[in-house]
Amino acid sequence: MTVGRRKVSGIGIAIVLAILVAACGEDAQETTTTAAPTTTEAAMEEVTLRVAMSSPGDVQIGVWEAVAAAFEEGNPNVTVELNFVADDIYETIGLQSLLTGNDAPDIYFEWAGARLANRYQEGFAADLSDFRENELSSLLEDGAFNGMVVDGKTVMVPGNADVTTVMWYNVDIFEEHGLAVPETWDEMLELSKTLLEAGVTPIGIGNKDLWPVGNWTSHIVSRSMGEEAYDQMLKREIPMDNPALIEALDYIVQMQEAGIVNESANAINDNDGAELFFRGEAAMHPIGSWLVSWAIEVAPDLNFDFFNLPPLDGAGVQDSIIAVSTGHVINAQSENIEVAKDFMLLFSSLEFASMMVDAGGTPLTNGAFDREDIDPRVQSLVELIQNAGAVVAPPDTGYELEVAEALYQAEAEVLAGVSTPAEAAANAEAKLG
Amino acid sequence: MKTVLGSRTLFYSVMALLTAFYGLPLLWLLASTFKENREIFSTPLSLPTAIDFSSWAKAWEIGNIGRYAFNSAFVTSSSVIVILLFASLAAFGFSRFRFPGKKGLLVVFGIGLLMPLQSYFIAQNLLFEALNLKGHRWTLIIPYAAMGLPLAIYLLKVYLDSLPGDLFDAARIDGCGEIRIFTSIVVPLLRPGLATVGIFSALQAWNEFLLAFIYVTEDAHKTIPTGLVAFSSRYVTDYQLLFSALAIVVLPMIAIYALFHRQIVAGITDGSLR
Amino acid sequence: MPALALFAFAVLGPIIGTGVFSLYEWDGFGEQVAVGLDNYSRALSDRVFRTAFLNVAIYIALTLILEVLVGLILAGLITARTKGTAFFRVVFFIPVTLPIVVVAVIWGFVYNPDFGLINSLLEEVSLQSWAQIWLGNPRTALVAVSVVSGWIFSGFFMAIFYAGIRQIPTEIVEAARIDGASEFQIFRRVKVPMIRNVVLVACLLAIVGGFQGFDLFFVLTNGGPFNATEIPTTYLVKAVFRHQNVGYGSAMAVIMTLTVLGISGVFALLRRRGREERTAH
Repeated sequence: MTVGRRKVSGIGIAIVLAILVAACGEDAQETTTTAAPTTTEAAMEEVTLRVAMSSPGDVQIGVWEAVAAAFEEGNPNVTVELNFVADDIYETIGLQSLLTGNDAPDIYFEWAGARLANRYQEGFAADLSDFRENELSSLLEDGAFNGMVVDGKTVMVPGNADVTTVMWYNVDIFEEHGLAVPETWDEMLELSKTLLEAGVTPIGIGNKDLWPVGNWTSHIVSRSMGEEAYDQMLKREIPMDNPALIEALDYIVQMQEAGIVNESANAINDNDGAELFFRGEAAMHPIGSWLVSWAIEVAPDLNFDFFNLPPLDGAGVQDSIIAVSTGHVINAQSENIEVAKDFMLLFSSLEFASMMVDAGGTPLTNGAFDREDIDPRVQSLVELIQNAGAVVAPPDTGYELEVAEALYQAEAEVLAGVSTPAEAAANAEAKLG
Repeated sequence: MKTVLGSRTLFYSVMALLTAFYGLPLLWLLASTFKENREIFSTPLSLPTAIDFSSWAKAWEIGNIGRYAFNSAFVTSSSVIVILLFASLAAFGFSRFRFPGKKGLLVVFGIGLLMPLQSYFIAQNLLFEALNLKGHRWTLIIPYAAMGLPLAIYLLKVYLDSLPGDLFDAARIDGCGEIRIFTSIVVPLLRPGLATVGIFSALQAWNEFLLAFIYVTEDAHKTIPTGLVAFSSRYVTDYQLLFSALAIVVLPMIAIYALFHRQIVAGITDGSLR
Repeated sequence: MPALALFAFAVLGPIIGTGVFSLYEWDGFGEQVAVGLDNYSRALSDRVFRTAFLNVAIYIALTLILEVLVGLILAGLITARTKGTAFFRVVFFIPVTLPIVVVAVIWGFVYNPDFGLINSLLEEVSLQSWAQIWLGNPRTALVAVSVVSGWIFSGFFMAIFYAGIRQIPTEIVEAARIDGASEFQIFRRVKVPMIRNVVLVACLLAIVGGFQGFDLFFVLTNGGPFNATEIPTTYLVKAVFRHQNVGYGSAMAVIMTLTVLGISGVFALLRRRGREERTAH
């Protein structure tokens, strides 16, 4: 009985793969031949494939479960174990303990950039260069692998491209007060003041964990200082208390003086901040692309859209975006590297990338967005990424966390009005010693 | 007579106010479990319009609370058993035998009484990591038992020292071996001491957070404190669900406490006073 | 002896290990670089670490009032009457039996700026202007956390003092009552002096416990806003587990341990002196 079913579903998955890959073009032949043998070969022994990630929200969890189910169906000897960890815990000690603990994951979610490089140096990231050259080449463009190459080796399978901050706004509130999307920084301050006079909190955010305001205002800082100085500062090549940062922080002073951010920002976390926006108490909410799927889920009636940070008068590229690529690493210490590759191949397929698009993700797989029916906001997020003049890396994923948090705290201090820009910059420098 | 009555009224009104201070947060929590998110925001103080346990059921189901409770119970009871067993043996040894280095060993455990968790958890974490001890369901039993030992040994030794030495000599003359003495004389006499130590270490293990947070990241093996924190960061804006999960966790504990309050209060106060 | 083996493995060894790590610069994985006492001098000149020590000192001072003093008053109230107090004793002790983390999550809601119990109550009695963003304001956050601490532990200290007062011979209290002393006078002049030793121990427990506090701070504020509630434990956990500075975190842990041991030593001396004085009389 069981043997029979295994065979049938094994063929099933091979067919699915063949169709999927054929749809992608010329490398179809090669991919099918590599995928099929491992499927049968792996059927020999029982394997548990552990996949760990920071919780992507219920809708996207659904996609992962579908991938896992499809994979188990095609590989009856494999049990896929999905482990979703709360994001702030995952980002700090969660992943660390998972990797070093018992039952370490075979595949884990990670941010491209400095963090990924650390993983590679610690020996937790398998070299996927061949995998990229062969099986993945038809699914993913070279551009998708930005920030995923360490020491000339590709060590990550691209997942999502996340814009970490745009300004989400409540379309109905904007219309009610006759407001238009601001084209300049001054317009943005003006419209915020209009909202404030009307008794609406212009910008709602929860900053207990410092990164929400940090990501947002660091984008402002990069625009003002210029991307190069920003990069040097976060790499500790120039000190924090440099005049360019102090000048950049002045934009935050303008917001503080106007009082356009909710007073409770320091006390509440990012989710509580989003709740202010969902309930229509705050007209705007600066956060990343993940808001779309979340808002659709918990506030289905909310009429919302976004705009990128308006141009500032600074040294940076004024149509830059702040964004990070995320993806999945195969643990170099895993005993199931080949199975893990097969799993990632299935995950990267157009079928599931498409499903991810429906779940509000922005997967990097070719052709995932070549459809009519996707959410227009997701569509324009993708356009924003494609047309950006520069991509700024968020401090907390692109650089040392300690440095990032020093900058975040400086920005938060200025936004709360407890420090002047000069004081805040000096505090940050003192902290890093 | 009148003044007595007056002061009694005053007394009870002061007590009522205090009771409100201690009880109100919990009652508010309970009331909020029956209110939709919208009501929680619009009328945070109102009484619920209907008593509906569906959010409790939902919290129980998706919150894995049963699993967390099981893990907590497993870790707690195992730690307590290890502590009681090892500590009563050690206390017996310390109290009844002379051996070289006894004083030094007592000092070592004495230091353990004073050492804060922070003085060793960093290295303990790396040690456990190197030995692959992290992430198991039984992981936490090791540190919890080890942490509970110094106090348990000390307390039990005090109890044993207070027993007359003649008792043991008589038993020995009667031909009892040391093991017999331990099982048939020491353990029964130590029962009140064992109860104190047991309750105290049980509460310590049941409530511990930092080590549980660092050592156990897999959801399936989490205890109540870490499980609840994970739950609250995952369903962070479904306040009704969160309140329900909290109520599910808190109410049984209060019930158990209400049943055994005499023993529990005695256990905790005796445990920390030494 | 199995007890010794377990204890040595899980506690003693790591105590020594932490001391050794504190002399290195290490991220927990890579190379260990011996840096002598550099981590210690860094800690002593680290402004946040000094703030953390100041904060924990303020917190301890507040807990001496909110836990020990309130506990003493509760015990006084409860022993002022012989009947009808069991219920209150049980109620005041409830918070002690709940995991601190659970209490912290509950109080996080009590302090919530939008629908929290406190701000709603203030609004109910038309004192909106008193409403605060309790945990988000650097001026109120530390006090707010301390109040929760008091809510938890005052019942615990009450139980300790209650047990102490119960051991005072009833004749002494009765004699004072016959002399016409009011309940308050009996409390101040008879009961409290008679349990002076217990009060001393309670202070030690509050101080040492305060130094080790972590759960409440971690859940409620995690050191924020702007380090206003940063205490040594939250800071060193950040250093080790967030910034991966195992050496630096270990050095801070050693400094903390020495402080705790120092305080315990002072108290041991005080107690011994107290005992000697009494035998001398």
